[in-house]
Amino acid sequence: MQEQSQTRKAINAGITFAVILIFLALIGFTFTGAELLGDIVGLDVQLRQRQMPSRDTITAYAMFVGIIGLWMGLRAGRPDPERSDTWVRAALLGVLAGIVAGVIFGLFLILVGTFAFNGVDLRKQLVAMSVEAVAMLTFGQAPIVGAAIGTGLLAVTGAIGGLLGRGIGRGAWRESVSAWRERATDWYQGLPITRQIRRSRISEVILYAVLIGVVLFLPTILSSYWNYNLGTVGIYVLLGLGLNIVVGMAGLLDLGYVAFFAIGAYTVALLTAPQPHALNWSFWAALPVGIVLAMISGILLGIPVLRLRGDYLAIVTLGFGEIIRILSRSDLLTSFTGGPRGVRNVAGPMLFGTPFNNERQFMYLIIAGCLILIFVTSRLQSSRVGRAWMAMREDETVARAMGINTWKYKLLAFAIGAAFAGLGGVLFASRNQFTGPEDHNLLVSINVLALVIVGGMGSIPGVIFGALALKGLPEVLRELDTFRMLAFGALLVAMMVLRPEGIWPSKRRRLELELHEEAAAIEEALPERLTPTPGGEST
Amino acid sequence: MTAVLETRDLTKRFGGLTAVNHVDLVVPERVIASVIGPNGAGKTTFFNCITGFYTPDEGTVLFMGEPIVNLAPDQIAKLGIARTYQNIRLFGAMTAIENVLVGHHPRMKSGVIGAIFRTPGTVMEERQAHRRAMELLELVDLRDEANTLASNLPYGAQRRLEIARALANEPRLLLLDEPTAGMNPNETAEMTEFIVRLRNQLGLTILLIEHDMRVVMRISDQVTVLDYGTKIAEGTPAEVQKNERVIQAYLGAAAVGEVN
Repeated sequence: MQEQSQTRKAINAGITFAVILIFLALIGFTFTGAELLGDIVGLDVQLRQRQMPSRDTITAYAMFVGIIGLWMGLRAGRPDPERSDTWVRAALLGVLAGIVAGVIFGLFLILVGTFAFNGVDLRKQLVAMSVEAVAMLTFGQAPIVGAAIGTGLLAVTGAIGGLLGRGIGRGAWRESVSAWRERATDWYQGLPITRQIRRSRISEVILYAVLIGVVLFLPTILSSYWNYNLGTVGIYVLLGLGLNIVVGMAGLLDLGYVAFFAIGAYTVALLTAPQPHALNWSFWAALPVGIVLAMISGILLGIPVLRLRGDYLAIVTLGFGEIIRILSRSDLLTSFTGGPRGVRNVAGPMLFGTPFNNERQFMYLIIAGCLILIFVTSRLQSSRVGRAWMAMREDETVARAMGINTWKYKLLAFAIGAAFAGLGGVLFASRNQFTGPEDHNLLVSINVLALVIVGGMGSIPGVIFGALALKGLPEVLRELDTFRMLAFGALLVAMMVLRPEGIWPSKRRRLELELHEEAAAIEEALPERLTPTPGGEST
Repeated sequence: MTAVLETRDLTKRFGGLTAVNHVDLVVPERVIASVIGPNGAGKTTFFNCITGFYTPDEGTVLFMGEPIVNLAPDQIAKLGIARTYQNIRLFGAMTAIENVLVGHHPRMKSGVIGAIFRTPGTVMEERQAHRRAMELLELVDLRDEANTLASNLPYGAQRRLEIARALANEPRLLLLDEPTAGMNPNETAEMTEFIVRLRNQLGLTILLIEHDMRVVMRISDQVTVLDYGTKIAEGTPAEVQKNERVIQAYLGAAAVGEVN
């Protein structure tokens, strides 16, 4: 029984990874991946029309396949905690997975190879399947030979992966590492200087200083294209931090979050642009107005939805977001908002007489905004206010019985979340020197919500990683062209399957998930203890 | 001396059902009072009327002589009434100490500005609150579990944590809804002792709903019996035990003849 399940696990791993490999090949990511690897190790990876792929290209591609094989082997060879597997078995399981994956991938290669090399233009249906690309996939050989090479490669790397998997999974190895780590920790914690540092929390300060230093240094080495893209990521970090308070901490599902972003953006636009109102305020004067207006609108939206929970709240807020966008483009308000054409020539900030007119300078402004909001969020999280929000998220009725004025704290969450979004909107409009109705569609709300969830609800680093994944990744994937969104979607699905708690979950969430199974086991073991008590009344 | 809690003519109807029917109750200071009754007698509804989750249709509730009927639940909690639940309702994804700190919420003041700038007042308040929370955890024997998530605590510990959370409110009146439900005889005995200790050491007034007659008879100073929302008996445990209507309500009419 055990034997069978282990073997089946290896076969399953093989099938799964073959499908992944075929999928990646179809969207052209095998080439992009090879290109990235080539960049790292210094190989010249490219596909030229009507030329066989170079040796470098094929080597990089083989490396890419090899990495997939290693990963597959890790999965296949991961030992059963109840059994003591031998090293040989682990390697064999890796080989088995590799052969399964190789055969399936090989069949795919034979199929596309036969067509492509006999003059059928696959690109009509499969954009990434040019003859040159197929030649790379078959390692520059005939389809059958390519399939054999692929199978061999996957089997070998699978075996290595299997051995690695056994090593990582083995208790003894793990224990020895953790014992070693403990000893090291004991040693340096015993040192007088460490004690001193701990007391004054210098180490924490140094860590943050280094991080901030890196962040501040980064824009100077990046091109203006990447500064622009990372600036967008930064603005989404601002939005994510705000929504993280509303959804992640207070547990209020807000789908109309873009409304506050729009209010911030339009405020700075209408106050500073020469058209349509010719107010010509300076950026710095408009900034606080935008934030305060967003905050007030957050409270105004909050009042009618105070009594709503869950799905109802989501639907009403969704409507609010759309109302703002539709109003901004309506004919009625064209003279006030500029209508569908939006507002042009939004002012950029000036500091000590110098304008912030390039992407790099603006990036610093966004970074400053992020740092301030991260600071504010982390302070709130560990305060009386943060605890009240969490209690409300956990059980609103009980929170009220504990003396928490839930209406006040809901409005507070909406107001602070909206203020963050307002700041994001102000920076966004000012950087683009433009804002219009289409900057503020539903997709923004969805993206921000998705980045909070993908990153890990309620976690500040989670928001940052989530924003990088959701707004940064599509830029990296731009090379995939047509299949960009498909690949992006697949990655998001994969991320949520592999890490349902998010990329960087908050500490408590991690605790919860890790201990979930354990708790379930305990509950099962004690059924009579947890049967309903007599007198089934409840609040 | 005014009573800590007094209900006069308290009535709550749900459609045609009268869940609480003209109930008068007086709980003097430092008394352990019990409300008992068969299933569906309206005990929990009675609790919810006191804590402000239901607005009674008739009658009034006085706390320290002041009417509290029209106050919101959080305002009532702030006045010093804390409660626990029959089916434990902790904040599962928060740690034990965080649960207790939430209970302390109405006794704290600091807001957003204090939290962001860590003003001296906020820091002091937080420090005191933490110290107080640790003391309470010590009291319920959960000091070592301060940083465990509430949902990962064993059943008995969750019951005790819920009481610690209620105590963090620094209440004058503690409402306990079946504190020994689902406990084994050992744990029940411990809990009973603990409740008496709360009254004796902290000077609390306690109103409890309880099913376990041994617990009720052992610790109550006064017992009120509800049946179909109506008060059918009141008095010391000994008096109530002998009351015919009580026996009838609990054991059915046929049993009365047998007893006699």
